[in-house]
Amino acid sequence: MLLDYFEGKKVLDRYGIRSIESKYVESSEDAVKFAGEEKLVLKLISEKQLHKSKAGLVKLDLSDHESIVKAYKELEAKGRALHPYRIIAQKMVRGGVEIIIGGNEDPQFGKMVLLGLGGIYVEAFKDFALRLCPITSQDALDMIDQLKSRKVVTYDGEATVRIRDLLVRTSKLLYENRDIKELDLNPVVVRSDGYDVVDIRILK
Amino acid sequence: MRDPIDLKPMLKPKSVAIIGVSRNPDKVGHIILQNYLNAGYSGRLYLVNKSGEEILGMETYKSILEIKDRIDLAVISIPAQFVPEVLEECGKAKVKSAVVVSGGFAEIGEKALQDEITTIAEKYKIAMLGPNCLGVVDPRSRVDTLFLPTYKLSRPEIGGVSFVAQSGAVGSTILDLISGEGFGLSKFISYGNAAYVDEVDILNYLMNDEETRVIVMYIEGIKRAREFVEIAKKVTKKKPVIVLKAGKTAEGSAAAHSHTAALAGSYQAHEAIFRQFGFIIANDISELFFYAKVFASEPEPNGGRVAVITNGGGVGVLTVDAVSSSGMLSLAQFSKESSNALKKVMPTLVNIRNPLDLAGDADDKRYSQALSVLSSDNGIDMLIVIALFQTPGADSRLATELIRLKENMQKPMLVLSIGAEFTKMHKIMMESAGLPVYDSPASIALALEALLKYSIYKKKH
Repeated sequence: MLLDYFEGKKVLDRYGIRSIESKYVESSEDAVKFAGEEKLVLKLISEKQLHKSKAGLVKLDLSDHESIVKAYKELEAKGRALHPYRIIAQKMVRGGVEIIIGGNEDPQFGKMVLLGLGGIYVEAFKDFALRLCPITSQDALDMIDQLKSRKVVTYDGEATVRIRDLLVRTSKLLYENRDIKELDLNPVVVRSDGYDVVDIRILK
Repeated sequence: MRDPIDLKPMLKPKSVAIIGVSRNPDKVGHIILQNYLNAGYSGRLYLVNKSGEEILGMETYKSILEIKDRIDLAVISIPAQFVPEVLEECGKAKVKSAVVVSGGFAEIGEKALQDEITTIAEKYKIAMLGPNCLGVVDPRSRVDTLFLPTYKLSRPEIGGVSFVAQSGAVGSTILDLISGEGFGLSKFISYGNAAYVDEVDILNYLMNDEETRVIVMYIEGIKRAREFVEIAKKVTKKKPVIVLKAGKTAEGSAAAHSHTAALAGSYQAHEAIFRQFGFIIANDISELFFYAKVFASEPEPNGGRVAVITNGGGVGVLTVDAVSSSGMLSLAQFSKESSNALKKVMPTLVNIRNPLDLAGDADDKRYSQALSVLSSDNGIDMLIVIALFQTPGADSRLATELIRLKENMQKPMLVLSIGAEFTKMHKIMMESAGLPVYDSPASIALALEALLKYSIYKKKH
């Protein structure tokens, strides 16, 4: 069962994992109000479609009233086939490197935590590192070091420390919450001044 | 979580009973007996055969219960349906351990029959290996339960590498191959269906076994995952474990299911756990050997700076390529002192740099002078000595000198020799003396990388 986005956000908060400011919106006006002066992202969330980007359920870089209204209408139209659904508005994140942090349950060993370069790369190049939970800080550093794309991911020392901490926290979350079967933080945008978990998908 | 099972009675038995021994030289029970006799097992040997007939001039007993002596190990090679009864008798006779060679259990769907013998083993606390397994070889105690004749499958010399294989076929081919290598064997354990003794017990025993320096494992599936993780954490703190896991592909995995009735869980999860707990992962059988060899003899390196000494320029360059592309290793810089010392002793045609090309006419003395200087250079962590025996200066004197230099060497020192018969002769000579020899730049770089990776793991975890 897919956990409600904001329930998921609360779980992350408890483990000190910061996710981007988001809000369910009920109308395009709602979305415009939430955007204020900033650029917006609109996403349609439905248990019937887990691959949001591929299905065109993510509208990025919405900068004015007109584009927000248009994107909202398009999502509403797609939503008819995906009932029940919600539309979520998020502030657009700029720059940084996209990574994926995930978790699942191996039938034999138990909870595993995963790190990969975000977007299409993790699938295309099978470039990811996996460990059994709970992990130590050293395990997290070893995971980063294991990636072929480590030089892209850790373009500065700060990024390494941030990813390490995120991995340790995620592993703790997975280990302590038996009912969570799968978790995707994809993408997490890592910048030189911080990070943002942009999308959360938790299956119970 | 149960206590680990002690394998000492199985590997160091003072008394052995072979149950199901046969007069027919083609029968498994006969070959096992013959192997015990060939190996020169010096403990007390008893034969059990239902008919009670004399075999090879030796007395036989109709049942293990007739033997007055206390039996440490029973080797059981009888049809599957009779195993429960015989194992029950072993229990009553207070037999400490048993190797059930017989097949016909879970691997062909006879799960109930397998559960029955597991229950008996648990009830009488018999350390039972198998069923459907080759069993054990220990060249020190001269225990050899393999039903494969020694003329077909050579047995290795005594050494420090213990080899653990679920599969009998992979196990026996590797055992055969080890006998052609210079490093020797500590224990060979093929555990088949793992109905009672499993990889957790075996790792626990080998971890504490002083005769074992390196553990090499071939695994299809892990039975008790949680317990395996616990022992995995502990064992790599004490000694290196090299692992080859079958079932990397979905197809390979499906084949493993039907093979030893083992669950070849998802390969990625297994690999993740091996990595996390410092195992050295081999990708095929040849890699097992590259790694086993280097860990069997070499000390832990302080770092990854490699010096290359060669009597052939081209092979030197290929080796530098292999070292540089490894990601962990790098080419060392000779210190000023080393360079000056080398300039004094080397002929003028030798360019003083890394790789150090001693030239095609280099003999044992030139190697000796170069290595004596470089062995004390603190900027060098590991040495690759390329010895091409096709050259005029290289002969048995060079091999002997390298062996001598190795004895006082504090750093890992590996030899690269490529060639046919003449080279192989010297390879065996050097390896028997504990100097590992490789036949390609790529394999020597892999071996050094694994050595370094493990030493880093031990320092960090």
